[in-house]
Amino acid sequence: MTRLARIRAEATATYRTFLRRRTAVFFTFFFPVLLIVIFAGLVNTASGTGGLFTEPTGYYVPAYLAVVVLFTPLSRIGSTVARYRDGNRFEKLSTTPLTRGEWLAAHTLVNVALIAAACFVLLVALTLTGASFTLSPWLAVLVPAASVVFCGIGAVIGSFADGQDGAIAASNGIALPLLFLSETFIQPELFPAWFRPVVDLSPLVYFSRGVRAATYAGGDAVTNTAVVVVLAVVAFAVGTAVIPWSE
Amino acid sequence: MDPVLVAEDVHKRYGDTAALDGVSLSVEAGEVFALVGPNGAGKTTLVRCLTGTTTPDSGTVQLLGARPAETNEQRVGLLPQDFSPPDRLTAQELVAYYAGLYDDARDADAVLSDVGLDPETDTWYGDLSGGERRRACVAAALVNDPDVLFLDEPTTAVDPAGRRALWRVFERLAADGTTIFLTTHDMAEAERLADRVALLTGGAVAATGTPRELVDAHGGPTRLVVVPATPLEPGASVDVPGFDPSVTSEGVVFAGVSPTDIGDVVAALDDAALDFEALSWREPTLEDAYLELAGDEEGVEASRAVAGADDSGDARTEGQR
Repeated sequence: MTRLARIRAEATATYRTFLRRRTAVFFTFFFPVLLIVIFAGLVNTASGTGGLFTEPTGYYVPAYLAVVVLFTPLSRIGSTVARYRDGNRFEKLSTTPLTRGEWLAAHTLVNVALIAAACFVLLVALTLTGASFTLSPWLAVLVPAASVVFCGIGAVIGSFADGQDGAIAASNGIALPLLFLSETFIQPELFPAWFRPVVDLSPLVYFSRGVRAATYAGGDAVTNTAVVVVLAVVAFAVGTAVIPWSE
Repeated sequence: MDPVLVAEDVHKRYGDTAALDGVSLSVEAGEVFALVGPNGAGKTTLVRCLTGTTTPDSGTVQLLGARPAETNEQRVGLLPQDFSPPDRLTAQELVAYYAGLYDDARDADAVLSDVGLDPETDTWYGDLSGGERRRACVAAALVNDPDVLFLDEPTTAVDPAGRRALWRVFERLAADGTTIFLTTHDMAEAERLADRVALLTGGAVAATGTPRELVDAHGGPTRLVVVPATPLEPGASVDVPGFDPSVTSEGVVFAGVSPTDIGDVVAALDDAALDFEALSWREPTLEDAYLELAGDEEGVEASRAVAGADDSGDARTEGQR
């Protein structure tokens, strides 16, 4: 049995389980659509009319994508790790040939597939709302790489949270500030000068900068994509190391 | 023949609590070994040490001749305590999932049939009955056709019929040569399945032996309980020629009476003009031995009260200490 076959077995069980949870499926895909309805449909996004949500559209497309690559893996992997630990599934898996790295790879693959599907839904919704955006091949690297980043961080959250509820609360508590402080919906110029360097600490900011560079204003997509890829490798390695495979 | 499972002077602490305090035991190939003990005695911790899912603070553990972490996973099966697999998979999908993790696995349908589940059923695991769930979990533990199978409280919360069905599965496995390491709170289960039983209490092994050896050594005498037609006060004296019974709340108790002596007891009761409504006789069980060794005096009394005796049991318990 190859490593790939073990990953496939874990991934197959995972996506089957997910697709049979109708509530999870609905909200996974409904959440980004809801944001688009709010920001592209209800909020006036035209520049020059004032207010917080009046930024250039270049801040919205990265924001929509950021919501998908941030919330889905962070909360799903976090709660999954907690669920596996609480149900003694890791104890069982640790006596099989599956390794913790293979386990996280399988769950990351499922999340990347879900995120790809959610991005497709998002693009359809953007089209229906008449938003203008540019499809860039950089997205094919940025979206999966950022998904891996937050799968790894989700694994860390799930490993240290004391249960599923704690994992979900912690992932939401981390995701929301990250979302709004990572040059997505809000331009950095709206933050105080002293705070702007702090934004660079967010892993999501490199994703949003990369997406904006690739799809809107031009700029350095290469460097930001490279940072996201490096962060993906680091987050995956750390996530793998801390999964509570054994006591 | 080398033992397949060896623990030598294993210690494991969680903070200030000693979960395992110098546990030593060995299990031979093909043996069914039951580990019994009170809640918190360290049974699950020992299973985790033996399977490599936790590391002892000190002492050595060998599984199939190697450290557990280095043992070929193909040869080991585990049903963890309180195991909760994905609940939106059918039993067939669940077993096929675990089969997919091994180099060489049995056909999922065949394993399900072995444990008495219909592979064709499309009911999700979460919608199965408690007994069916445990059978599916056992099937998941068997899918790699292990040489050594760890079952941590496999029949907890399973109804009597389901429990017996699982026992038959385990008996077939044992007959086929699978080494089984079982933890349980069900003394009838241990007595029926195990070649040897170890009692773990306070993180240490209090006794090890065949069920018969443990019962003989620690189970106390047989008991004949006579329910008199006219109730007697517990502690009252009764003169039955040739016997030395005691009076308890359950009746007149004759300790150490064999079945062939029952007629003599009845004759003696007639001689003593003691009318009675009923009598019952029972042998000591593994549960008696367990309660004796676990130091649960209240439990010992309750167990013996069920059979109609308590005073004589207390005297024996004290005498053995």
